[in-house]
Amino acid sequence: MSLLAVNNLGIATGGQDLVADLSFAIEPGQRLGLIGESGSGKSLTAMAITGLLPPAIVPRGSVTLDGVEVIGAPERKLNQLRGAASAVVFQEPLTALDPLMKLGNQLAEPLHRRFRREGRDLANIDAEIIALLERVSLPQPQRIANAYPYEVSGGQRQRVAIAMALACRPKLLIADEPTTALDVTTQAEILALLDSLVRDLGMALLFISHDLPVVSTIVDQVLVLRQGRMVETGPVKTVLGAPQHQYTQSLVAAARAFDSALGAS
Amino acid sequence: MTTIELDRPAPRAAISWTFVVGMTLVGIHAAIALLTLVWTPYDPSSTAGGRLEAPSLLHWAGTDRLGRDLFTQIMIGSRIALQVGIGAVGIGAAIGVTIGVLAAFATRLLDDALAAAFDILIAFPTLLLAMLVVAASDTASLWSAILALGIALSAIVGRLTRILAKRVLQMDFITAARTSGTSWPRIVVIHVLPNIWPTLMVNFALQFGLAAIAEASLSYLGLGAPPPNASWGRLLQEAQGTVYTAPFGAIAPGLALLVLVIGINLFADGLRDVGDPTRRRSR
Repeated sequence: MSLLAVNNLGIATGGQDLVADLSFAIEPGQRLGLIGESGSGKSLTAMAITGLLPPAIVPRGSVTLDGVEVIGAPERKLNQLRGAASAVVFQEPLTALDPLMKLGNQLAEPLHRRFRREGRDLANIDAEIIALLERVSLPQPQRIANAYPYEVSGGQRQRVAIAMALACRPKLLIADEPTTALDVTTQAEILALLDSLVRDLGMALLFISHDLPVVSTIVDQVLVLRQGRMVETGPVKTVLGAPQHQYTQSLVAAARAFDSALGAS
Repeated sequence: MTTIELDRPAPRAAISWTFVVGMTLVGIHAAIALLTLVWTPYDPSSTAGGRLEAPSLLHWAGTDRLGRDLFTQIMIGSRIALQVGIGAVGIGAAIGVTIGVLAAFATRLLDDALAAAFDILIAFPTLLLAMLVVAASDTASLWSAILALGIALSAIVGRLTRILAKRVLQMDFITAARTSGTSWPRIVVIHVLPNIWPTLMVNFALQFGLAAIAEASLSYLGLGAPPPNASWGRLLQEAQGTVYTAPFGAIAPGLALLVLVIGINLFADGLRDVGDPTRRRSR
């Protein structure tokens, strides 16, 4: 059984379809890239998977996450699913962390729930916080745990945000443009980190991005979205190497043109 | 990542001079208020002094028309002003923050209804509210004034809380908390309240000063604590008839109220900086 099965997902607001007829599945440990331009419905799809669409935006169809139907599920049931089945890393690490809470305390929140879920001794949480910060390659974890978000750099904040997602020990990690707000060097580091974490912890990955080169380095399968509809899907090499659809071709051509422009300069 | 940051000195609080002056002025009032519980220069109801005496070494602020020591009464007025401030802000905060947070979470319809209720209550004359409370409790007392002011303040606090909480709820870290399975009540406790608290605290301090002034107005009109433990407003009212012959009777309680409210406003100003971690840690 698939870890995540999306069947004929539609997302609409005020009678207008934002996403329609979207179907895909992610098996345990599999990595899928969701590609599309701004407004193509990538992030809405991620929100629908975790049952976190705003009240005015209504989903239809079916989303089964870890065997639980998400659409129409009560908040209580969703809260048990969130964290345990899926966790999300967001685009902007500054706003995704509470500015008034020390980073260690923020990490303690999901850890607390997981420890209780797994029946582990809550006294070990402090040690686990440090271990998690080390796991995402943050130097001086003790100092980071005692710092407020504004006291660490953007790349470090994103590492903390990833550590928070890991704290849940999810089966599916959803990364919503996790490198877009970072500079290119940091981007590469974060991608390498995500890659190794997903491999080592055996998580499945749903990687959302508009950036083809970024996506192609980290996932095996891609799905191209345009205006809320699937354009093309398949293994990365096939879709990006020999795109069938005109839209995908134009995306690939654009990325190539950018590369050659860089090479020429 | 550099190691230089490790060596920086331990963070120190950035405390402004306004905060220090404000806290001193409020502190003096608080100390006097506490002192009246155990000691006053004279018995507040003793009429041993001469009538309408000017300030002297025996009577620092003179005496009223019954020969009671005015300084003693002003000291007791301090206690009453602080009691009213703490009581009214406490009631206003308890009701206002609770309903304000609920409104931020409520459905559209209930939220609109609560917002309208806040606006109506703010528009409702505090004086009329105080009269209704007095009528309902049979007699004008310190507690009827505190209750009336508390209810009036709760609308202001509620409206502010609702707006602040709504703004925080739209932030990314709330969504992030929800994706990891944090429940709504937990989000309110660990994210919403701490993020709106600094702004609310500044507002509470300002409301405290306004409550002290409002109580003086209520007492002036006879809707507050009755003598001999009278508030500054009552002292002003009693001094009104003799203001030309003995102006100290009006000046002294007025001055006490002025100092308290200035102190509170300076304190509130400094509080703003203390609540902000980016300023708290900067030197």
